[in-house]
Amino acid sequence: MYSKPLPTTGLDTKPFWDGCREHTIRIQRCKACGHLRRPPASVCPRCLSRETEWVEMSGRGTVYSYVVYHVAYDPSFKEDLPYVVALVTLEEGPRILTNIVECDPAAVHCDMAVEAIWKDMTDTVSLPLFRPVS
Amino acid sequence: MSQVLSRMAGDDAVFGHFGAAAGYALAARRAMHEYNTGPDTWKHIAVGQRKWANLNPRAVMYDRPMTESDYERSPWIVEPFRLADNCLVTDGGRAFILTTAERARDLPHPVVTIMGLGMHNPAADPVAARHLTGPTGARRAGEQAFHMAGITLEDVDACEIYDCFTYTVEITLQDYGFFGPGEGEEWFRGGTIEPGGRTPVNTSGGLLSEAYQMGLTPLTEGVMQLMGRCGDHQLGPATGNIKPEIILCSDNGGILQTHSCCILRRN
Repeated sequence: MYSKPLPTTGLDTKPFWDGCREHTIRIQRCKACGHLRRPPASVCPRCLSRETEWVEMSGRGTVYSYVVYHVAYDPSFKEDLPYVVALVTLEEGPRILTNIVECDPAAVHCDMAVEAIWKDMTDTVSLPLFRPVS
Repeated sequence: MSQVLSRMAGDDAVFGHFGAAAGYALAARRAMHEYNTGPDTWKHIAVGQRKWANLNPRAVMYDRPMTESDYERSPWIVEPFRLADNCLVTDGGRAFILTTAERARDLPHPVVTIMGLGMHNPAADPVAARHLTGPTGARRAGEQAFHMAGITLEDVDACEIYDCFTYTVEITLQDYGFFGPGEGEEWFRGGTIEPGGRTPVNTSGGLLSEAYQMGLTPLTEGVMQLMGRCGDHQLGPATGNIKPEIILCSDNGGILQTHSCCILRRN
C-alpha cells in the first residue's frame, strides 16, 4: 500500500500525469504565442489565449534551487530523511518541482546538470525524479 | 496536521514538499548561489531580534537569550534554514484601530498617521516565479510608499519587517534599498538592528522571537513604538536609540509573491 500523497488529476494537470505514466514529461505550450508554461493553466499567462497543446520535454535540465528536508512534515517521508526537493529548470525553459535522487544531498548544487528518471509509485502513478548527469 | 499540509501543498506534496519554510528556503538557497548570503548573514538577524525580545516581557522568547553559537547549533529544519531561522507558531491576537486623524486626536492615545502605502504582487506561483531572488514585491511597493510619504530611507528611524524567516528580513531590506545584493552580511554585522544599533529592526522580537501574529506583529509594533507605549523595549535613551518619528513596516505573503509596505509617522 502506497502511503505517500498522490497527485490530484484535475482537468489542468491530467495530461501531465498521463505523460508521466508513459515516462515522458509533457508541458503545456500556447498555440498562439508558443509560450511553454508550468504550472498548467487553462489560459496563457503571456497572451491570454486558450489554445493549448502538450509537448514532450527532453528530460534534461539544471537545478535552479534546492532544499534538504531534515523534518518529515508528513510521516510517510520519514524514511527518506534527509531528502532533497528541487526546482529544476528544464532545458526547454519551464521549471518543475521534483526530488534529486542518486546523489548525496551535500553534493547537490545550483546549476547542476540533471536528467529525469522514473519511479513507478502505483499501477497508475509514475513520478519524474532527477539525478545528476553521469 | 499532515493531511491539512498535504491538501495545501497540492501536487508538491507528492515530492514531500510542504509549507512555507521550504518555499522560502528554495528562494534563500538560490540567493546564496547568486550573491553573498547565507547563515553568516541570517545569524545577525536571529540574534539581533532575540535581543529585542529579551527586553519585551510579552515575547515568547523573553527569557531565552540567543548567542551566535546558539544559532549555529540550532538544528536544521529545511536546509539552508535552521530552527532559529523560522518564526514562532503562536496563538494570540492583535488589533489596531484605523480612523480619521481628526477622531484619533480625540482619543486618549497619541496619534500615529500613515505617511505612505505601497503594494506589489509580482508572481502567482513559486514554480513560475522569476523573482525568487529578488527584486521581490518589496522593490516597487517600497518605491510607491516612499513616493507617497515624500521621504527617503535616511528619514526612517526603525523598521518593523515581516520576518517569517530570517532571510525574509534580508531580502526585504535589500529590495527597499538599504544595501545591495550580497552586502547584507556587512550591513547587519556589528549590531546594526539591535538595541542601540543604527537601524533598529523588529523591536518587539518580531515573528522570530516575540510572537507570530501574521502581519500585525510588525504593524502594531510600529504603531506602539510611535505612541511611546513599548515599556523596556521602547526606542529612546533607554535602548540607546533616538525616539522614533518615522517607522517603516512591511508585510508579505505567499512565497515572496505579495508585498505591502506602510510608512508610519508620529502625530
